[in-house]
Amino acid sequence: MGKRRVISMRGTIQFARHSSALTCACIALLCLGGIARADNASAWDVSSWDASSWHEIETKYIFGFTTGSGIGIEGEKEFTVDSIGRFGKRDGHYAATETKYEYEFTPSQFIQIEFGALGSTHNIGGVTDLDNRNAAAFAGGFAEFRYLALERTSNNPLSVTLAFEPNVRLIDETSGERVHNYEFETTVNADIELLRNRLYAGFNLLYEPEVTWTATDDTIREATLGGSAALSLRITPNVLVGGEVWYLRHYDSPTLSAFTGDAIMLGPTMYVQFTPKMFMIAAWNAQVWGREVGNSLPLNLSEFQRQRARLKFAWEF
Amino acid sequence: MSHPMLMPIRLTLAAICATGLLHAAPALAQQAAEVQLSYSNGAFQPGEVRAPADKPVVFRVKNLDTKAMEFESKSLRVEKVVAAKSEGVINVRPLKPGRYEFYDDFNEKARGALNVQ
Repeated sequence: MGKRRVISMRGTIQFARHSSALTCACIALLCLGGIARADNASAWDVSSWDASSWHEIETKYIFGFTTGSGIGIEGEKEFTVDSIGRFGKRDGHYAATETKYEYEFTPSQFIQIEFGALGSTHNIGGVTDLDNRNAAAFAGGFAEFRYLALERTSNNPLSVTLAFEPNVRLIDETSGERVHNYEFETTVNADIELLRNRLYAGFNLLYEPEVTWTATDDTIREATLGGSAALSLRITPNVLVGGEVWYLRHYDSPTLSAFTGDAIMLGPTMYVQFTPKMFMIAAWNAQVWGREVGNSLPLNLSEFQRQRARLKFAWEF
Repeated sequence: MSHPMLMPIRLTLAAICATGLLHAAPALAQQAAEVQLSYSNGAFQPGEVRAPADKPVVFRVKNLDTKAMEFESKSLRVEKVVAAKSEGVINVRPLKPGRYEFYDDFNEKARGALNVQ
């Protein structure tokens, strides 16, 4: 059996796995949707919608991987399970997930704080430069500090939040190897209300320096720089759908002096508010363009992946 | 000896605390505008209230109903459960001119608005 056929079969198996995961997610969504309809009937009953059905919404999670400017309500607490999956490298089969088990609270009308634990899974086989691996592990912890710098009012549709998120990882995000990794994600999260309570545009700027000490005592310093634009339309009072595009650049230096490649990710997003205290988001991005320095092949699959998906459930209390 | 990686985290925490205090300080120094509301039969009275711009606002919400309500507003970024037959006090930062909606989170049909001028 030729290598190309093996890769093709692996691709089929990988696709089947992803399809199964997607099917499970859809079934869960439909089941939860049923609960939501029972709990929050009027918001799902088309005949009962009028102008007063379209109330203000929290924009933080309506743009998929792009984060909106919302910081919640003073005194509000939230528990979330936020999974991001990354799929597909140049060859072999590659599937890695990282899940945040997150506690989020808003101590003032300007600041939001989050912290939690990270769990990861890696299913890797036959990928050049990566060891084969099939593992699940506790991967580290993180905290996030968000400051609302510019707030939206009925006279100003723009809102801007500055966010800083230090992460400590014991498992490498890409390879699944044991490491000590410190990442300092810094973002600007902005959004604009284009049509009152109906249509929103979101923008992120990202600077993510990190340093990693490997098991062999190597030190790797790198950084990701990027930006995104997203659009989200409220199709019912409780459901928003949209799309987003990300442009990401990777450097082998936190000072951005050693550029190694870039990529563009594009895909749809969805936000569903099941009850006033419970919601989910789903997003999927595919790499539509990319380049690696020193490699003429299309796409950047060294630093990024073919596809990524996000599924997040949140409960406010 | 502290780990060198802890220094930027400490500096960031200090900066965040300082920023929070800077925001809180003017609000504490200014005289707050008081807004009185009552809640009965699943509705706010009055449904529209006013407050001056750039001054902290204190809502005093009297729940006259026989069950609890939750005063909440996404744009004011506040929420408070007010027990039956009792009064809740909600402090809001100085606001820019505009219209800020509020509602009972236990009965979202009950809605009102604060007009800041």
